[in-house]
Amino acid sequence: MKDGIANNSTASISQARKAVEQLKMEACMDRIKVSKAAADLMAYCDAHIREDPLIMPVPASENPFREKKFFCTIL
Amino acid sequence: MSEWCICSVFALQKVSIIIVIFACVVCKYIIYLSEVQLNETLAHLKTESETLKSKLEEERAKLHDVELHQVAEKVEGLGQFVMKTRRTLKGHGNKVLCMDWCKDKRRIVSSSQDGKVIVWDAFTTNKEHAVTMPCTWVMACAYAPSGCAVACGGLDNKCSVYPLSLDKNENLAAKKKSVAMHTNYLSACSFTNSDMQILTSSGDGTCALWDVESGQLLQSFHGHAADVLCLDLAPSETGNTFVSGGCDKKANVWDMRSGQCIQSFETHESDINSVRYYPSGDAFASGSDDATCRLYDLRADREVAIYSKESIIFGVSSVDFSLSGRLLFGGYNDYTINVWDVLKGTRVSILFGHENRVSTLRVSPDGTAFCTGSWDHTLRIWA
Repeated sequence: MKDGIANNSTASISQARKAVEQLKMEACMDRIKVSKAAADLMAYCDAHIREDPLIMPVPASENPFREKKFFCTIL
Repeated sequence: MSEWCICSVFALQKVSIIIVIFACVVCKYIIYLSEVQLNETLAHLKTESETLKSKLEEERAKLHDVELHQVAEKVEGLGQFVMKTRRTLKGHGNKVLCMDWCKDKRRIVSSSQDGKVIVWDAFTTNKEHAVTMPCTWVMACAYAPSGCAVACGGLDNKCSVYPLSLDKNENLAAKKKSVAMHTNYLSACSFTNSDMQILTSSGDGTCALWDVESGQLLQSFHGHAADVLCLDLAPSETGNTFVSGGCDKKANVWDMRSGQCIQSFETHESDINSVRYYPSGDAFASGSDDATCRLYDLRADREVAIYSKESIIFGVSSVDFSLSGRLLFGGYNDYTINVWDVLKGTRVSILFGHENRVSTLRVSPDGTAFCTGSWDHTLRIWA
C-alpha cells in the first residue's frame, strides 16, 4: 500500500514536471501585438472578399446551387 | 548448563525481535521521509507551474493593446444576406453526426447514428454510395483529397478507410481497411494533404497520425486532460500544424512532426465541440457548449474575439469560415445557424430550417455554399 502511494506521487510528480516544462516552452514564444494581428486578419479579408461567393454573390447561372435546375424528364 | 542454553536462546529471541521492530521503525521513518520529500517536490512543482502560468498571462496581456472589433470599426459593414436552403438531402434513418465535402466541390460524405455512411452528389441530391458500418454512432467521416476514398469511425474506436469504386454495385464493405486504433470512441478524423495519412482524435484524450497503407501509428499527441472532440489541419501553405479542442475546455496547437504541443488556449467555459482554422492559417475559431464561438490569433497567442449574445444559450456544435474569412457560420443546438461578422463581432444573420440540433457544418471548398447536418436526419445545402 505504501508502494502504491509512492507510485501515485511519482506519477503526479512526472505529470507536474511535464506541465512545468510545457509552460516554460510556451513562455519563450515570440508574440506580436494584437493590433498587428488584427490588421493582418483584416488585410486577408479585404484581399479575398471579392472572391467570396457567399458575400459577393456570383450570378445565379454560375452558382450551381442557386440556379434552378429541374430534374424531371418529359416522358 | 542446559538452563543457561535455554535462557540464552530466549534472550537471543527477544533481542532479535527487538532488532526487527527497530528495523521496521527505521524503514517506516525512511519511507515517511521520502514521502514528505515527494510531497514537497510536488508542492514545489505546483507553485512553479502557477508562477509560470501567471507570467504567461502577464506576457500575453502586455501585447493586448486593442480589441479586434475596435480595429475593424473602419471596415465596411456587410449588406443583407439572403441565404436559403437550396437542397435537402434525405436518406439517413437517424441523426446525422458528421459530414465532409469532396475537393470536387460537388460530392459530400455524411455519417449518422444508425451506422450508415452515404456519399451524395450535392447538385442532384442523388446517393452515389452507401456503406453500413458495424457500429452505431459514426461520429467522424472524411473525404480523401483525391476523392477516391472516405474514412469514418465512431464507437468502434477505429478509423476505417473505404476506397470508392466507380462500380456502384460493388460491395464497399469488402474493401474496408482498418487504419486507426484508439482505446475510446473516435471523435474526428481528417486526411492530411494526401490520401496516405490520416489524423484522428479520440475520447481517450489523444490525437494520432496514421499511415493509411500499413495502419502504422506515425505520431501520437498527448496533452489533453479529457476527451478530444475535434481537430482541424492548418491550411497547406502554413505548415505542419493542427489544432484540437476537447472536453478539458482547452484548444491545443500541435506540431505534427515532433508531437509537441506548441500553444494552448483555455478561455472557454465548457467543452469545445469544433475548431476551424482561419483561411490564412494565422488564427482559428472554436465553438463550445458555453454557447460562444471564439477567435484565437496564433501569432498574438491569445483570444481576440468572442461571438456571443445573451439570447443564445444553446451550445455550438460546429463552426466554419467562409472563403475570405469574413463570415463565421455556427451550427447551434437550438436548431439554428448563426452567421457572424468575424471582424466586427456582430451577428449578421440567423438561419432557420432544421427541425433538430445542427450537428455538423462545412463550407464547400470553393465557398459557393455550405452544408449542415442535423439530428433531424437530413442535410441541407445553403447558398
